Amino acid sequence: MSAAITVHNLYRFFGPLQAVNGVSFEIPHGSVCGFVGANGAGKTTTMRILASLDYPTMGHAEICGINVIHHPAEVRRLIGWMPDHFGNYDNMTVLEYLDFYARALGYKGAERRQRIDEVMDFTDLVPLADRFSNKLSKGMTQRLCLGRSLLHDPQVLIMDEPAAGLDPKARVELKHLIRVLAKEGKTIFISSHILSELGEMCDSLLFINNGRIVHHGDAESLKKSTDLLGGVLYDVQLDGDPQALSDWAVLQPNIEFLESRKNGGRIRIDTEDPNKAADVLARMVKDQLRVVDFHREQRNLEDAFIDILANLEKNQPAFTTPPPLPPQGSLLPAEPPYEP
Amino acid sequence: MHLFDFPDRLSPMLVKELRQGMRTKAFVGVFLALQIILGVILLSAGATSASYGAGETISNIIFIFFSIAVLIIQPMRGITALSSEVKGNTIDMMVLTRLSAWRIVTGKWASIVSQSALLLVTIIPYLILRYFFGGMNLVGEIVFLAVLFLSSAALTAVTVGLSASSSVILRSLIPMIGLPIGACFLLVAMLSGPFRGNSMSSFFALDTEESRIFVSLYLAACAYYGFFMLSSGTSLIAPYAENHSTLRRLISLAVTIIAAILCSMSFTNTDALPFFLTLVLLPVFAISLSEFAPLAAPTYRKFAKRGALGQFAGLFLFPGWASGFFFCIVLIAISAAPFLINQPTSGGQDHLINGLACLASMLFPAVIINVFRINGPQRVSNYVLILIGSIILSSILAGITDSLSNENLLWLFCWIPPVLMFLEEMGSASNNDVLVYSFIICIIYIGTLLLRAVHAYRKSIMDIRAHSDSE
Repeated sequence: MSAAITVHNLYRFFGPLQAVNGVSFEIPHGSVCGFVGANGAGKTTTMRILASLDYPTMGHAEICGINVIHHPAEVRRLIGWMPDHFGNYDNMTVLEYLDFYARALGYKGAERRQRIDEVMDFTDLVPLADRFSNKLSKGMTQRLCLGRSLLHDPQVLIMDEPAAGLDPKARVELKHLIRVLAKEGKTIFISSHILSELGEMCDSLLFINNGRIVHHGDAESLKKSTDLLGGVLYDVQLDGDPQALSDWAVLQPNIEFLESRKNGGRIRIDTEDPNKAADVLARMVKDQLRVVDFHREQRNLEDAFIDILANLEKNQPAFTTPPPLPPQGSLLPAEPPYEP
Repeated sequence: MHLFDFPDRLSPMLVKELRQGMRTKAFVGVFLALQIILGVILLSAGATSASYGAGETISNIIFIFFSIAVLIIQPMRGITALSSEVKGNTIDMMVLTRLSAWRIVTGKWASIVSQSALLLVTIIPYLILRYFFGGMNLVGEIVFLAVLFLSSAALTAVTVGLSASSSVILRSLIPMIGLPIGACFLLVAMLSGPFRGNSMSSFFALDTEESRIFVSLYLAACAYYGFFMLSSGTSLIAPYAENHSTLRRLISLAVTIIAAILCSMSFTNTDALPFFLTLVLLPVFAISLSEFAPLAAPTYRKFAKRGALGQFAGLFLFPGWASGFFFCIVLIAISAAPFLINQPTSGGQDHLINGLACLASMLFPAVIINVFRINGPQRVSNYVLILIGSIILSSILAGITDSLSNENLLWLFCWIPPVLMFLEEMGSASNNDVLVYSFIICIIYIGTLLLRAVHAYRKSIMDIRAHSDSE
C-alpha cells in the first residue's frame, strides 16, 4: 500500500528564490508528522503544493497514491487544509460558516446537518453556534477552522502552523484534538517552528532548511542523540553541598560542569558510551559525593535542530551556495544538487 | 439554530453572500433611505396637487434615486468582494471544496445583483402610485427600469471582476472615481430632456427600430463586458489546474465573428467601425495579452489527447499570454474583413488610421509588459493602467500641441499609439504619412510580441512535456 503522503524531488522556484529545493519524503498512513523549519524555510510552499494550491516547478507529490499535480480535484477530497492564517467572515455565525462549507462540499439536507453537528461536537463549538465567526478568540477560531477542514472526513490533514498565536489553554485543547484524530487513523502533517509542542504529538519529524529536508526521524531518537561533539548531558543531584559537584568536575577529564542547580548541577560527558557514564558515577561515589540522583537528560529538540544545521554547514560547505538551476525548458536538473 | 433558510438548490456561495449581505449596513441603509426618500417625494407631490408633467418629473426623481442606489452604491459593494477573500486567505479554503472559482465569483456577483433586484421590487409600489399623477408611458418606464437594473448588473460584474486584482488603483480607485462619473453620464444622457429626439420613456418604449437596435446592442454589450469581467476575476483567483481561458476565448471568437459579419453587412458609418470593433476586442486583448497562467498538466492533457488537432488548437487556446497573443492575431485577421469590405465612398483613410491606431493601442501595454518582463498576476492590472495612462498622456500631448499649434511634439511621441488618432484628427500632416507610421508601429509591436510569444510558448510546452516524462 502506498504512503499517505509521498513527495519526490520536489522543486518550487519563485524567480531566483528557490523556496523548495529537491524535497523528498514519505509519510505512512495513520501517522502524525511534524514539519519543522524556520520562517521561509519552505514549509508553507511544500504544504500548499500538497494541498493542490500551488504548482511545483518540478518533481511530484502524491496523496494516498494520487498525483497532486495531475488530479487535484481527487486529492482535494482526501485532504483537510488548515492554513497558517485566515480571516473570518463578517456577519456570519459559526453555524452558518460551517453550513456554507458543508454546502460547498456537496452535503445536502439532513446529511449536511448531521455532519455539522458531528464536527461541532468534536471541536466543542456547540456553545458558540450563534456567535459571529469574526468575534471569536484565536483559539476558538482555530477550532472552527479545524471543524471546517474535518467536514468531509478527510484521510489526510495538512495543518500549517495551527498553534501559532494560541494561548496555553487553547494549545492544550488543539493538541488533544490532534491526538484524538491520530487515534482515529488520520494522517496528520503539521508544521510549526515551536519544536517542543511537535515533539509531544508527532510520530516523526521532518526538518527543512533553505528548501531542503535536513532530517527525517522520530522525536525520541533526537532527544536521546548526542550533541554536535558527541557528548551527552547528565543531571546530578547530591545530598549535601551542591558546590562539591562543580569542584569535583573541574578536576575530572572528559567532564564539563555546565550549570548549578538547587541540589547539584548539570554535567556533560563527552561520549555517549553508557560504560563511561557508569565509570563517572562510580568515581563520584568513590570521591565521597553523596549522589542521590544521576540520570541522562534528554536534549530539547531546538538544540538538536540547531546541531543538525551546524553539522550540515560543517560537512557540506556547498550547502550555502545555491544549486545550479535546471537548463531552460527542462524540468529535470542534470544532477540533483542534494539528496538527503 | 436555523440552517434551512435557503434551499439546497441555491449555490452555496449565493447563500453565504446573501446571509452576509442582507446584514450589512450598506444594504440596510440604502434600502431604508430609498424607502424614506421615495415616500417623502410622493407624499409631497400628492400634497401640492398634480400639475401637467408632474408625473414624469416624479418618475425622473424616482429613477434618479434608484439609479444612485443601483448604479453607484450597489456596484461599489463589489469592490471588496474578492479582495477581502484573497486578503483573508479564505479563497484557498473555498477552492478546496467543490466550488469552482467561477462559482465563487458568480455567487458574489449574483448576491449583490439579487439585492439590487430587491431594491427594484421595492420601488414598484411608488411607480404604481405615481401612475395617478398621469403622463405615464408604462412600457417605456418598465424597459428603462430593466435597462437600469441590467446596467447595475454589468457594473457590479466590473467591480467584482476588478476586485480580484492585486492593484489597489485598479481595484478601488478606478471604480470609486469611475462609477459616479459613469453613472452621472448615463443618467444625464438618459434623462436630459429629449433623448435622441424623444422623451426618455417614449424612447425606451421601443417604438422605433433605432431604439430597439440601441437597447439590444446596449444589453449585449452589458452581457459581454459583464461576462468578461467576471471571467477575468475568476482567472485571477482560480487554482492553476482550472482553465478558464479556453471558454473565454471561444466566446470572444464567436462574438468577434458575429460583430465582423454585422459590420461587413450593415455598417455604413466607416468612421465608427474601428471604435465599434475596438469595443468588442478590447476586453479580449486586455486579458489574453496579459494573462499570467502556467500551462498545467491537466489542461495540457485535455488538448493532447485529441492528437495533432488538439495540439494545434492549444496554440491559440492554452492559458497564458503566449497562446493569447496567437489568438489575438486570429481576431485581428477576422476584424480586418469589415475594413476591406467597407471602403468609404470618399476614399479617405481615416478609418484605416483609426483602426491601426486602436490596434496598436491595445498591443502597446502588452509590449511594455513583455519588454520590461513584468510577471505575476499583476500583469492584467499593469496592462489596464498602461492603456489608461497612454490615453491620458496622449490627450495631454494633444492639448499641448493644440495650444502651441505645432505638431512636432505629437510626432515625437507617435510611438504611443493613441497619439496617432490625434495626429489624424488634427489633419495638418499628410494622412498617408500617419497611415504609414501607424502601419509600421503595428508591425513593430506585433513582431516584438511574436518573438517573445514563440519563446514563451515553446518553453511552456517543453516544461510540461518534461514534467510528464518525469512521472
